[in-house]
Parts: sequence; C-alpha cells; structure tokens
Amino acid sequence: MYCRQRTQAAPPLNALPDRYQASDDLVLRGPSDGRALAQRLSKRYAERITGAFVVPGREGSFATLPADLPSALAQALRSRGIDALYSHQAEAWTATQRGDQVAIVTPTASGKSLCYTLPVISAVMQQGAKALYLFPTKALAQDQVAELLELNKAGELGVKAFTFDGDTPGDARQAIRLRGDIVVSNPDMLHQAILPHHTKWAQFFENLRYVVIDEVHTYRGVFGSHVANVIRRLKRVCAFYGVTPQFILCSATIGNPREHAEALIEHRVTAITQSGAPSGDKHVLLWNPPVVNTDLGLRASARSQTNRIARLAIKAGMKTLVFAQSRTMVEVLTKYLKDVFDHDPRKPPRIRAYRGGYLPTERRAAERAMRAGSIDGIVSTSALELGVDIGSLDVVVLNGYPGSMAATWQRFGRAGRRQQPALGVLVASSDPLDQYLVRHPEFFEGSPPEHARIAADQPLILLDHIRCAAFELPFVGDEVFGPGAATPWLEVLGEEGVLHREGDRWEWIADSYPANAVSLRSVAEGNFVVVDRTGGKQTIIAEADYTAAPVTLYEGAIHMIQSVPYQVERLDWEGRKAFVTRTHVDYYTDAIDYTKLKVLDCFGSSSAGRGDAHHGEVHVVRRVAGYKKIRYYTHENIGYGPVNLPDQELHTTAVWWQLAQRELEQAFDGRQQALDGFLGAAYALHIVATVAVMAESRDLQKSVGSADGAWFVASDIAGRGQLRGMDGQPTALAPDAPFTPTVYLYDAFPGGVGLSAPLFERREDLVRLAITLVERCDCAAGCPACVGPILAADEEATHTPKALALRVLGLLVAL
Amino acid sequence: MSALADRLRHLRAQSGLSVPAAQTAPPKPTLSADVLRLIQGRSRLQRAEARASSMDRFVPGDEIASGLFLTEAVVDWLPPPPVIDTAFARWSEPVDSGRLMHFDTETTGLAGGTGTRAFMIGAAHWEADGRFRMRQLTITTMAAETAMLQAFAGWLRGDTVLVSYNGKCYDAPLLATRYRLARLPNPLTGLGHLDLLHPVRRRWKSVWENCRLATAERQILGVVRDDDLPGSEAPAAWLTYLRGGPATNLRRVAHHNAQDLRSLAGVLLHVSRLGRP
Repeated sequence: MYCRQRTQAAPPLNALPDRYQASDDLVLRGPSDGRALAQRLSKRYAERITGAFVVPGREGSFATLPADLPSALAQALRSRGIDALYSHQAEAWTATQRGDQVAIVTPTASGKSLCYTLPVISAVMQQGAKALYLFPTKALAQDQVAELLELNKAGELGVKAFTFDGDTPGDARQAIRLRGDIVVSNPDMLHQAILPHHTKWAQFFENLRYVVIDEVHTYRGVFGSHVANVIRRLKRVCAFYGVTPQFILCSATIGNPREHAEALIEHRVTAITQSGAPSGDKHVLLWNPPVVNTDLGLRASARSQTNRIARLAIKAGMKTLVFAQSRTMVEVLTKYLKDVFDHDPRKPPRIRAYRGGYLPTERRAAERAMRAGSIDGIVSTSALELGVDIGSLDVVVLNGYPGSMAATWQRFGRAGRRQQPALGVLVASSDPLDQYLVRHPEFFEGSPPEHARIAADQPLILLDHIRCAAFELPFVGDEVFGPGAATPWLEVLGEEGVLHREGDRWEWIADSYPANAVSLRSVAEGNFVVVDRTGGKQTIIAEADYTAAPVTLYEGAIHMIQSVPYQVERLDWEGRKAFVTRTHVDYYTDAIDYTKLKVLDCFGSSSAGRGDAHHGEVHVVRRVAGYKKIRYYTHENIGYGPVNLPDQELHTTAVWWQLAQRELEQAFDGRQQALDGFLGAAYALHIVATVAVMAESRDLQKSVGSADGAWFVASDIAGRGQLRGMDGQPTALAPDAPFTPTVYLYDAFPGGVGLSAPLFERREDLVRLAITLVERCDCAAGCPACVGPILAADEEATHTPKALALRVLGLLVAL
Repeated sequence: MSALADRLRHLRAQSGLSVPAAQTAPPKPTLSADVLRLIQGRSRLQRAEARASSMDRFVPGDEIASGLFLTEAVVDWLPPPPVIDTAFARWSEPVDSGRLMHFDTETTGLAGGTGTRAFMIGAAHWEADGRFRMRQLTITTMAAETAMLQAFAGWLRGDTVLVSYNGKCYDAPLLATRYRLARLPNPLTGLGHLDLLHPVRRRWKSVWENCRLATAERQILGVVRDDDLPGSEAPAAWLTYLRGGPATNLRRVAHHNAQDLRSLAGVLLHVSRLGRP
C-alpha cells in the first residue's frame, strides 16, 4: 500500500568519522530485510538473545462485498481497488446491520476502519443519519477524515466528514454542527465542548445513529474511567433527543476486549476477534544486554543496546522506530542517533524525536516527514503506539518492556509492510519486570495479553461527571447515573452551592462551566507549562502533567526537548510553571523519591500463610528528596542536588501483607534481616502484581513500612533496608517497640482506580508467583530482576537478600 | 452524606484539583478549612431562610403563572418616526416602528453552555399611539421558566424585528438553548434582528472608552444612571432571592433592565438617524 523509495544509507560526505563504521560493516554485509537482519543479529550477538521466534504471516481470508451495500459506495470501494472485504470487515457489516453493538479487535494495519466506515456511510447515504467518531488523539482523527474524504471523492458520495477538535476555528464550528454527517473528534472535546453545548448540536443528536470509538484499549485506568463516564453523559443527552445510537468499538489486542467494551458502554456487545487481513512474517528477538559485572549481576544499559540495534538497522537501509519509556529517554536516544546520522546541519535530519509535550505543529511536521519517507529513524514514547499514520516501517526496537504484552504487540505491529518480513526487538532494561520477562520467553510467547480495566464508579471521577451531567441536563427524581441513583452526589453538589434543588429537580445554578475543570487525561487541573527564558524572552516550549512535575521539573533538573537540554531555574508550584534556560551540560538528572504510608480503613482481611493479608484505604505521602546527575555515555553518577517540594499526599486503596512479631522473631536473627527480607519480598510482589493487573508500573506502587505508619523502610545507597521515621530521617526502633513490617502495594491515584480489589482476590497467586520469580532467578544472592539490586558484600553473606526475601514470602504463602 | 462530601474534598485536594486552603489557614485539629467553610455556608443559608418571613421578599408585578411575575408600564419615551431607517445596519428596507421589539435578558452568569439561564426577560415596543410599552417577566422558581418562555413567545409575531445590544451573540443563543431544553419551538428563529452593538462599535470604538450600553446611553442620550446595580451582580441578586434572601437587589435588577430597554430605543433612534456608516 505504501510504496516508498528506500533511502540507502548515504556515506557521510563531511569529515566526521563514524567510530562504529568498521564493526557495523561486519554485521551489515549484503542486502537486508527483517529476516536477514534478525539472522545476522542472532548470529553476531547470540549470547544476548534470550528468545527468538517468528510470528508467521497469515494468508488473507476474504468475503465478497455485501449485496446490501449502497451501489455508489460499492463503486467507490472498487475504484479504490477494494473488490472484496476481509472476513472481519464482512462480519462487522453483518453484526451492525443486525443492530448489535460491536467490538472489533484486530492487529494494527488490518483495515479495521472499513469495519465502521461501511455501516456509517451506508446509513448517512440511505437515512441521512449522523455519526460521531472518537479517537484518543487529534492526529488519528485527522488521518481518519483524510481517509473518509478520499473515499467520498472516489464515489462522489456526498458525505460530509469533519474533524472537530481544539484547533477547529470558531466560524467553522457552526457549519460542522449543522452540516457534518460524520464528526470526528476525541473524548476530551465531547466532554468539554460538545456535551455542555448539546443544544447547539440538536440536529446532530436527533439524527445520531452511530458512535464509533477507536483504540478503546487506550481507555483504561484513570483515563478509561473518565471516558466511561463521558459515555454515560453522551447516552443521557442522546436520551433527551430520543435516540439510542449504536456503538462500534475497535481495539488493539487485549485479553478482555468484549468485557472492556461492555464496561465502557455498559451494554452487551458482539466481539469480532479474527482478523482476515494477510500479514508478513514477523521476527521477534528478546535481547538482554550483556553482563558487565558478574558478581553483582549488573548488565550493560538497554539504552546502549537499543542504540546499537537501531544504528545497524538504519545503516542497513531499514526504516526504524524506537520506542522509549520516558520522555527523557527519547531525548537521550535521539541525541545518540543524531550524533551518528545527523552531524551535518546543512542536510535535512534523518532522525527525529516524537513525544507528548511537543507543540502540535511540531508533531504534525514530524508525522508528515515520516509519511514522506524522508526520516530514517524515529524515537518515540507511547505517543506513536496508536494508529497515527506515519507510513510503514521495517524495524521496531523497544527500549525496555512497555509494561504490558498488549502494548508490546501493538508496538511491534508498527513494523511490517505487506508480505515483507519485519523485525521487532525487545531490549530488556535492568528494570526487574523486563528481566523477568526476557528470561521467560515462553511466558512472552504463550501468554494471553492482559486485561484492560476501568473503575467507572471511582468516587472522585464519578463526582466530576455527575457535576458535568447536571450542567448539561437537570437531574430529576431518583435518576440513575452509573452505579445507582445520583441523589447523594447531588446533595454534595447542592451543599457546594452549584446545584439548586426545587421539588424533585436538581438544577445547575453556578456561574461556571464545570467541564473546564475536569481533565480526562490527568488527575489534575492545570498542567505545568515549561517556559524558556533564554535570552530574556518568555516562550512556552512544553507541558508536563501534575504527577510528572515533581520528578521532572524540580529546580536543577535538566529537561530535554528534541535532545536540547534546558535547565530548570525556578519552579512556580502554585502557578504551575517551570522556568528554564538553554544549557550546555554533559549530564542529565534523575529524581530520588520515597514514600510513607498509613492504613485508614480495612475493607477485608484473610490469613496468608502464617501472616495475614488485607485490603483497604491508605494515606500515602510521597516526597522527592533530591536528584542525581548522570553523565552521558558513561552514566556515572557525578553529583546530587536537593529538591524542596511539597509532599504529595494521596488517599488511595492498597493491598498489604503482614507477619506477626513472634513469627519474625522465630524466623530471623534480627530486625535488620527481616526488613531486608520485606524489601526483597515487596520488590518481587510488585513485579508480579504489575503484570497481573495490566497496570502501568507507575500506577501501582510498592512500599514497606510499619502497620501503624510510625516508620517506613527505604533502600539506602547499598540497597539495604533503612528505617526512617515520620519526618523521613533515618531512625532506630527501641528494642521493645512493636515491630510489624508490612508490604504494601497501592494504587497511585487519589481514591484508587480499582487495582487493589483484583490484587486482593489474587493474593495467594501473587505470593506463589513471587516465590517462583525469586527461586528461578539465575542470580546467586539477589539482583534487580528478583529482589532488587544488591551489594558485592552480600554475595558472601550467610543470609543473602534473596534468601531473606524467600523466607518472608515462604511465611506468607498459603499453607 | 457529609462524610461523602468530606472524603471527596480530600481526594480532590490530593489530585491537585484545588489548592487546599488548609495549607495556609491556621491548623484546625478536627476540621479542614474547606469543611468549615461549607458548614458556615450552610448555616448562612439556613439563617437566610429563617429570616425570610420578616424580610423584604416583595417581587413586583402580577403572578401570571406560578412563580412567574409580569410587570408592565406604558411611558412617553422618544416617540418614533413611522418607519425606522435601517441603513446603519446595511439593511435595504426601512422597518415600521410598530414591528420593533426591544429585548434584554438577565441571566445567571456568563459561563455559557446549557447551565446558564435567563431569570428575567424585558421587552418593549412602541404602541400605535407612539407610547413605549415595557414588559418584564421575572421567575422566582426554576419551574416557572417554561411559562416565561411561552409568555415571551406570545409577544412575538412572524414579522417582529428584534432590537438588542449584543443579543445576536448572547441573548438570542441563550434563549435558543432554553427553548430547546424546554422542548419548545424557538420563536426567535427567522426574525429580523437589529443588534446595536455592531453599529455603535463601528462608529465609536476609537472614540469612547468602551462600547457598553451604559456608555452609549450616556454619550448619546445623556442618561446617567443613579444607584444602578452592575450587570455582573445580577446573578447573585437572583440567587439570593431564590435561596430565601431579600428581593431588594432583584428589584434593582429589574430597574436596571428597564433602563436598558429605554436606552435601546434611544440608541436605535440615534443611529438610524445617522444613516449608513
């Protein structure tokens, strides 16, 4: 579909030597495709590859164009070279014509948009129906409209499709509301601009027949919980206009597509999960960086390996996409690749970075350059995981495990032109989760993708949306919103003075626009803006969300944008602004943070081996204490700096395990041993729990502390458990003080977003999985892949951290 | 129930949604400042209700439907020519002065969207004898809104020409939303509409300090308002009454609204005499 000129790696014309040239040439003899490169890498780096497999390509499975398709539409399809449908597209047609709510789950580039385009365009042409499309990003919406317009033009179908987003000019909005047949938008616009002004959209709503929601796998966790509530509001407004639109949802591969779709729209759906699209072979390599210190089990960085693989692939003339886990890492890797490929400033860049936080124009420019094929290497955060049209690629390198199987396959799905072998490489970082997975390729190959979860009834989120809903239409009587009658929530809003009760009606009375105060994507209002003060001017150059700010925008932080380093000079916490200036340093910075925790309420308890397990509500305080300066390339730690920011407080839900003091006294020689054991156990439990609930690892956090919150344990520089008091300072317990160390896994969202309940249900599994993880780890005494990093001295210790962690876990495992 | 409110308030503060006042307020061991403020607010409301019987709750006019009050006055005010020259608005035809309906709404705020409503609609027209007939509809309950919208619709004819100040962008869309929510046809649809803000702006934008109606009437008509309630205080005036407080400021809103209607007519006559800009 996308035929593009391959840009051969041109020999550099300028004089800068490529110091990797000789060694790279050894690997790169002869022409290359995904298979050839996979073979060469496997041969050259055999000891680093822990798993290699091929996901075989598929023959296509086809069906004829449905007979009941409007003839002009069938004609338009044929004129664009579509004479037959893939089987999943035909199935979707049948199901929508039956009136079902449909969820389609197929891989990237399988033609899923036709699944909804056909029923929608048919209904527009035959019944004058309207449709609303929701995509998680503006870029995807723009792609979709471009596609619709091409089809429309090919058949002169007279279907009017428009994007409606924050960039839509005011004078165009009226026309779109009145004349748009298909309005392509995003959940945020529906939430902030469409629903609160639904009367202006009256004609649109009165004829609304289809709601298409693509990429629903991205609507999980906090964001998904918000979106589910926006859908509740959408249905409520639709009911006012007397319509019940049909939903068509699309998702990348997840473990529970039907359940997730049903949770989002709160209606039974028909799931279509077999793709009929043909695909080429996909070669997958699991890559573990080589061990550089055998004693400590220290490995070379993922970053160096990713850089090498990407460099080889680009030199082999293959379009390469690198996914990095953080914005900082995107910038670091971009810099490394640019150092090799973009050292001549007179030539257009061959390497680009792509991530959230750039301004929209910059991102659109990057997308265009990629589609045009003028870019050879892209380094991105998850921003490119979705179906943004950037053309086809040959190689995808993941710098670190993305946190879920689903996201891994979604990212690998970016590689692959039709019928051509593609390559995906997962480079494990030292992150324990990565080490766990890369050493268990069978888990990787065989495991079903994870489940997406939402908690639509999360109290904070629910309150936000009942507030918005009350603005849109008054609540009458015991109207149900979500889990039940909205009445108690309305009373809260009444006390707040935003609603006025008259008889059985709750009417909006405040002079405010509540949707503006509710962001679907982050917990907080008002992202931080990054203001560049270089040269006396003030320019906004980036944004960061509330939760990221304490760990990325502290004073002294090096904040990178397109691999240009800026230093944060001042952080205005109240004003949500960080002032930076351009700087020239050879290091980047990394925040040091720690957590303490206190139980407020226990929802449920059970025994766990010789101890017990609980779940309930907790109070968490997080503090960023300082930061490290890390030099480029050598990655040595060249200094520390203090950070002085308010503590982040959080009421949330958690699951926790405890052992009674007398059990500990019998099992351990001393309290320090027990603490080290608990730290190791927490480390291992956090790894397996993160996999178990498809949490982003930042959404699920761990902590070890006292049951009464009197102290908590932080790892000191040596990785040993260090007791700290309420003030965060190191402390010691009186010998007769009660001693009940506790492992906590908590939900990192205020009020919790539903992670702790499923963890409590699986508490016995988790302990067993953690034991397997630690027992099967190759290390002798403990390592970052099981119980956390350890010191060389621990190797000789009689009680290794690994043994201590196993002892704690052994006491907690079900008898 | 208050426990729910309290819990939600804490969670919100932690999410960065509102900067908790508790951080700056002196420490209160048992209750956060937010909760205290809430309790104070509530008791203030209760006190207001308790005082209601002895306070001034008089809303002028006839209660023509439950919660809907109509006041009416016929005054001598700038007798119009039989036809109004509309060249100032770049219309090709003049309009019979008898077709004109000046109108102005008072609303619960400026936030826009479906959550803002009009609690007062003032409208005025010239009778055949040249006298100026002003009518105002005020609701004292939410439920009376439908009756108010119906009453206003009854004053408009198919050939009515509306006269307003910024009504095209503000009052008319707001009423359109209210008619839609009340499931009533919108009587403003298709009517001619002379919005005086635009011609005033075109002519005096660079001359006056601003182009608000109060400025226009002072400059053109020499009207200086006495004890005028600023428009921005109108929402609070109505809310106070709705929650059981005195009607004093609500009557001042009506007074302000009536003056707006008179000024509309005055500004209209003035700009129409000036002709095409």
